[in-house]
Amino acid sequence: MLAVFFLQKDISEPQQKAIEEELNKSPLVSKSRYVDSQMALERFKEKFTELQGIVKNLDTNPFPPSFEVTFKEKALSYDNVLSFIQKVKAMPGIEDVQFNQDWVDRMQSFSRLAKAVGFFLGGILILASFFIISNIIKINVYSRKNEIEILRLVGATNIFIKIPFLIEGVVLGIIGGMFSLLLLLFLIQIFPIYLGSSLGVLNELINFRYLSFSQSINIIMLGGLIGFLGSMSSLSRFLKT
Amino acid sequence: MIELYRIWKQYQKPHWALSDVTLKIDPGDFCFITGPSGSGKTTLLKIIYREIFPTQGQIIIDKRNILRISDHKIYRLRREMGIVFQDFRLMFHKKVFDNVGVVLQVLGVPRKEIRRRVFNALRMVNLHHKMWEYPSYLSYGEQQRVAIARAVVNRPKIILADEPTGNLDPELAFEIMSLFKEINRQGATIIICTHDRELIRHFGQKIVFLYKGKLLRKETL
Ligand SMILES: Nc1ncnc2c1ncn2[C@@H]1O[C@H](COP(=O)(O)OP(=O)(O)OP(=O)(O)O)[C@@H](O)[C@H]1O
Ligand SMILES: [Mg+2]
Repeated sequence: MLAVFFLQKDISEPQQKAIEEELNKSPLVSKSRYVDSQMALERFKEKFTELQGIVKNLDTNPFPPSFEVTFKEKALSYDNVLSFIQKVKAMPGIEDVQFNQDWVDRMQSFSRLAKAVGFFLGGILILASFFIISNIIKINVYSRKNEIEILRLVGATNIFIKIPFLIEGVVLGIIGGMFSLLLLLFLIQIFPIYLGSSLGVLNELINFRYLSFSQSINIIMLGGLIGFLGSMSSLSRFLKT
Repeated sequence: MIELYRIWKQYQKPHWALSDVTLKIDPGDFCFITGPSGSGKTTLLKIIYREIFPTQGQIIIDKRNILRISDHKIYRLRREMGIVFQDFRLMFHKKVFDNVGVVLQVLGVPRKEIRRRVFNALRMVNLHHKMWEYPSYLSYGEQQRVAIARAVVNRPKIILADEPTGNLDPELAFEIMSLFKEINRQGATIIICTHDRELIRHFGQKIVFLYKGKLLRKETL
């Protein structure tokens, strides 16, 4: 991917240096090239020979100097590149920036699609675990019917009877969450190795990242919540007096 | 005070397990319910602790119409009662200790206190040496005594005992009855279903005769 940063005509030497440095030190940039007004004009003349007349009649050079930056495809995370471009654009001496909006749009729609598929699958899996847990609780309620009956007869409150089942559901959910995290870590390890060459260009677009600590905690807590709701729904249906 | 007013109970048409039973049991009564098998003794008890509802009639216990108590508040009634079920109803995957202690656990009694009281209750039925056994390793008579210990462990106001001595030898049956009598002397109301004429003769104060679901007669000695 290519981005062109147009510089202000009256850019100072230190400003230009600063921009050049910023570009060169970024890990996202594979190469950057300075194009001064003269070179830009030459290039224009070369490309559009039939317009030479127009340019000749100008007494000033209309082309601003620029940096042409090529980004590393490999390291691409679309968000990172965009925020890097925004950051550089805000530096003093930059007039404007142009980059391939097409590519950005494609990336964006691709990531939207990926997100939608993710949400869909995630929703299905959440529902599935909800029903699995509520079924496990239902089976346990039935297998302990006799004991529940006795608890009622000796004066146990409803909540006293329910609590062990709720704890069980939450624990199941948490274990499920942790298990799925482990599986995910494993998949992230194995997936690029396994599919690396066959993914082709996709491999450059997809960024396999481990979940952050707080994301992991969230998944485990979500598991617990699903377990809680699953056993709640089961208890409300199968633990009527 | 337990008042049953014109209780009818029908499980299946056309038989009436109870028909038109009216009965009043005063606080501190020591009451036997007797009658042939199938005459409705267990049914009557189940209605008193509200495991089942009568088809018709009303029951008042200490000024409360227990048929009107909602399911999630019925635990309050049950906590006032100690019940010996005819079929014991023990939890077979839990030890004797927990089977008796469960009554106190549901009340949130501290564990140390539970241990003390469970031990005492088991000693009263001569079973403290089996505290850490599972009920399935006990004889019928021993299981029955676990059920009795559970019924008395919390010193309830009302004890309902359904054939509590059915599997015990006469000496033990006598001991158990003496235990009930002692609890009765301390103020509890006791209702016992039994076939045992000997026990009735020896301990009976108030005797209710049931026959085919009908209250045949009441006797107060
Ligand atoms: N759950 C039930 N469903 C249908 N019929 C029942 C049910 N429970 C009891 N009965 C019937 O009600 C009648 C009274 O039963 P109940 O158990 O009260 O007798 P009982 O006096 O306790 O007898 P026993 O001395 O043998 O214990 C019997 O005819 C019995 O068949
Ligand atoms: Mg019976």
